Amino acid sequence: MEFKSDATQETEKRIFFSRILFSISVLSFLVILILLRLVQLQIFDADKYKLRSMNNTIRTHSLPATRGLIYDRNNQILAENQPVFQLEMIPEQIEDIELTLDGLIQLKLINENKLETIKDNISKNYQFKSIVLNNRLTEKQMAVFANNRTEYKGVDIKARLSRHYPKKEITAHALGYVGTISSMDYSIFDPSLYTGQEQIGKTSIERDYERLLHGKPGSEQVLVNVRGRVMKSLGKKPFLPGKNLILTIDTKLQEVAYEAMKGRKGAVVGIDPTNGEILILVSTPSYDPNLLSRGMTALEYKAFEKNENKPLFNRAIAGQYPPGSVIKPMLGLAGLHLGFIDPTKYEPCDGAFFLPNYSRPFKDWRTHGPVNLKEAIQASCDVYFYKTAIKMGINNMSNFLSKFNLGATTEIDISYEKAGVIPNPSWKKNHFKSRENQSWYKGETVIAGIGQGYMLTTPLQLAYATSVIANRGKSYRPHLVKGIMDSDLKEIEYIEPIMENHLDNIDRNHWEIIHMGMKAVVNKKGGTAYGMFDNNYPLAGKTGSSQIYSLEKTQGENVPEEFLDHGLFIGFAPPENPRIALAILVENGISGRTAAAPVAKKILDVLLEEQKNVSQ
Amino acid sequence: MLASNGNKDIFSLKPSEGLQERLHIDFPLFLAFLAIFIISLTAIYSASNSNFDAAINQGIKILISIFAMALVAQFSPLTYARVGPWLYFICLVLLILVLLIGETRNGATRWLNIGITSFQPSELMKIAMPLMIAQYISKGALPPNISSVALSITIVLIPSYLIMQQPDLGTSILVAFSGLVVIFLSGLKKRYLAIAFTLFLAYLPFMWSNIHPFQKKRVLSFLNPESDPLGSGYHLIQSKIAIGSGGLFGKGWLNSTQGQLDFLPERTTDFIFPILAEEFGFLGVSLIIVIYLFIVGRGIMIAINAQDLFSRLLASSISLTFFVYVFVNIAMTTGLLPVVGVPLPLISSGGTSMVTIMIGLGMLISVQTHRRLIDK
Repeated sequence: MEFKSDATQETEKRIFFSRILFSISVLSFLVILILLRLVQLQIFDADKYKLRSMNNTIRTHSLPATRGLIYDRNNQILAENQPVFQLEMIPEQIEDIELTLDGLIQLKLINENKLETIKDNISKNYQFKSIVLNNRLTEKQMAVFANNRTEYKGVDIKARLSRHYPKKEITAHALGYVGTISSMDYSIFDPSLYTGQEQIGKTSIERDYERLLHGKPGSEQVLVNVRGRVMKSLGKKPFLPGKNLILTIDTKLQEVAYEAMKGRKGAVVGIDPTNGEILILVSTPSYDPNLLSRGMTALEYKAFEKNENKPLFNRAIAGQYPPGSVIKPMLGLAGLHLGFIDPTKYEPCDGAFFLPNYSRPFKDWRTHGPVNLKEAIQASCDVYFYKTAIKMGINNMSNFLSKFNLGATTEIDISYEKAGVIPNPSWKKNHFKSRENQSWYKGETVIAGIGQGYMLTTPLQLAYATSVIANRGKSYRPHLVKGIMDSDLKEIEYIEPIMENHLDNIDRNHWEIIHMGMKAVVNKKGGTAYGMFDNNYPLAGKTGSSQIYSLEKTQGENVPEEFLDHGLFIGFAPPENPRIALAILVENGISGRTAAAPVAKKILDVLLEEQKNVSQ
Repeated sequence: MLASNGNKDIFSLKPSEGLQERLHIDFPLFLAFLAIFIISLTAIYSASNSNFDAAINQGIKILISIFAMALVAQFSPLTYARVGPWLYFICLVLLILVLLIGETRNGATRWLNIGITSFQPSELMKIAMPLMIAQYISKGALPPNISSVALSITIVLIPSYLIMQQPDLGTSILVAFSGLVVIFLSGLKKRYLAIAFTLFLAYLPFMWSNIHPFQKKRVLSFLNPESDPLGSGYHLIQSKIAIGSGGLFGKGWLNSTQGQLDFLPERTTDFIFPILAEEFGFLGVSLIIVIYLFIVGRGIMIAINAQDLFSRLLASSISLTFFVYVFVNIAMTTGLLPVVGVPLPLISSGGTSMVTIMIGLGMLISVQTHRRLIDK
């Protein structure tokens, strides 16, 4: 060490002390700065940061409610919830995402076409959020994954519930189907009642009873770590399961009806006339609602929608067809009640009806000779009803038919029902634009007498009108839901049938005449459905064929199928104590006798057999 | 003693050779270290999610550090004054070697592989720098003249620049500080200080264009952490949440949610302070700060009591650098400074930095306990 003089050392010390003092003051300033900062963070802003720390670690998981089940009238399950297994992964737990995805494709656990979507999902979500790789694993795929599980850390199988319809196509149009919730759905249903993971009803019962079926979601508060893994549960609010529905559908009859209609386009509706319960609601061709519920690709759905047979279209409630001759019993009753028909009087039929100033005749499908009302129904004489129509006039006809709820919706408890058309001059005036088309012609009254022209009805309306006839004017609003059952399967709240009496002042004899005519259709020689059923078959019915192309067009051999007449049949059985009122429509079936009546027979054979067993 | 004129009487007056002098330990400092190490062990245990092995590991490092400190305290400051320049130049060569053949981890080239193990020469420079500068400055008269100031600054800036290139901004700043503080204490004229400050400001834009993009990102995210809450702002946001949510009294030991549930990264190393703040609250961390201040204050006392210029400068550089360590770490975790990657001294896990700090403190104790020897 070099020598330094005392004076130098003294100066050095002085300088050093002054600098140390300065340093200490800077140091004190910095300490105060830190303390102030800590006071700010830990005392003034403590509440804010406590909240943020809680938000970090406490997550509220919503627990989707289980959807209510749907049963038929005999407690047979029609819609249930099945667990499905899906493959999910948490990106941050995976070392090499590319490699993992490639490996899963090799194992055929991921569809290669979905790779882009999956990668897109991964990049757009938090790394700790689970990404769905495959939303429905087959049992084989699950076994394959189980064997390779150790190589795929961060990939796992998760279970969720999905709607399943065991009767598939058979009950599709009655039940509807479910799907993932869309923004459109949220504009109709309260979003606070959904977690977003549920399936929501898209059509029919599933849609119109959505509010009862979906229940109320619960929630669970959990403590999670930074990777979102649940460390412990802090509290749980259980979900409220949806209510179960008991339908009026009789699955056995529904199955028979569907089988009988298989391969044809058309609809069958069967109603219990004593309470309005719909026993059968079939529309064909149908679809497998399971495919729609598990989620179709846009392409699959498009193909579905483009199918020219329109499997998604519910013909039973929304298909509008000219009723043809099945309208005759209602018009016959109108004539009797309004005094235009003398039931004992015979009217000649020479196969055609002429209207003054009309050059062309209104043809009958055959020459009947003289017939009274009962025989006119039995043999479906057109001339008799042409005459009746002219006598009554179109307004009397349309007023009376309206009392059968024709031309108006029946207010069935599912949506998208069509009203049909019961035409009259004022309807025509409002319906057409050009003045020339607005005026009513007498010829239009004539053809309305056999349910042709502008007249349109749905199979549901026809079944309902038939139930009115069966029950002699007393009727109940058609409905599909019989009862609402609590999720614990204990309490059932039954739905009271709604009575609709629009025809309660009709003379009992008039009903009798119509019933006799309809029974004769089935059981008397010359009846249009005679021979199609066993002898003395307990059924009152009426056949019909509705022309869709042109009344004048002669039915030839070379008419393309889509222009062939529709075949119709309405009926109720047994006539004395009716249990069912049926309407059957077979598109392009040519005749009600050959196309629709056999369907009725198949259904009624089963029903009557059941009744026999019950009464024994 | 303080007001001593430096006359021979006092030099000849032999201070009684007490137990502390003979063992070359300082009881007040030793008690403070003990308190800090106990805090360290509890914090490491909590921050590692109650991993007993981590605490044991830290305990071993503490024992090694204490041993290193005790060993260093045995030698007289004169030895260090002699060794200083050699150590400095060796470190300089090693730092150049790091840039040439160093090991790269996580994008930073800081390690030198010497066969058995790899180590960071920059850590060694933390010891070499105050020794070198104190030695150089104390040779000349105070206040230093312009040329010796210029040379001193060069001595400081060369290793700092090399360390910054690794890149390791935190260590670079601390090394530079440990040198510059000596120049400042030596009585650098105020106008030089003003010039230096101006030069520093002029240098800032140059530095900004030279630092690595990830460092830029850190600085920017420090200014507005919420702009990238899941990326560069994540550390700071989670750190502030941990500190703030601790409140006045804290959540209690092992009850930090930010730590136990893994929200706060690097919580056994650079971000251990937030865990302490979350579990022990404002009162707890205030106590820790008091202990740190006690160590710094004791160090300054030792510097003031030191009997030659080299010891004074060395002791004050070590004490004030230790304080800057504490300040930078707490300021960075509370969002007062950008995240530069400086551990909380003696508490954070990380063997090398603890050993180098304790070696520095060992030299401090050496200054305190070798006063009589220098007198001779």
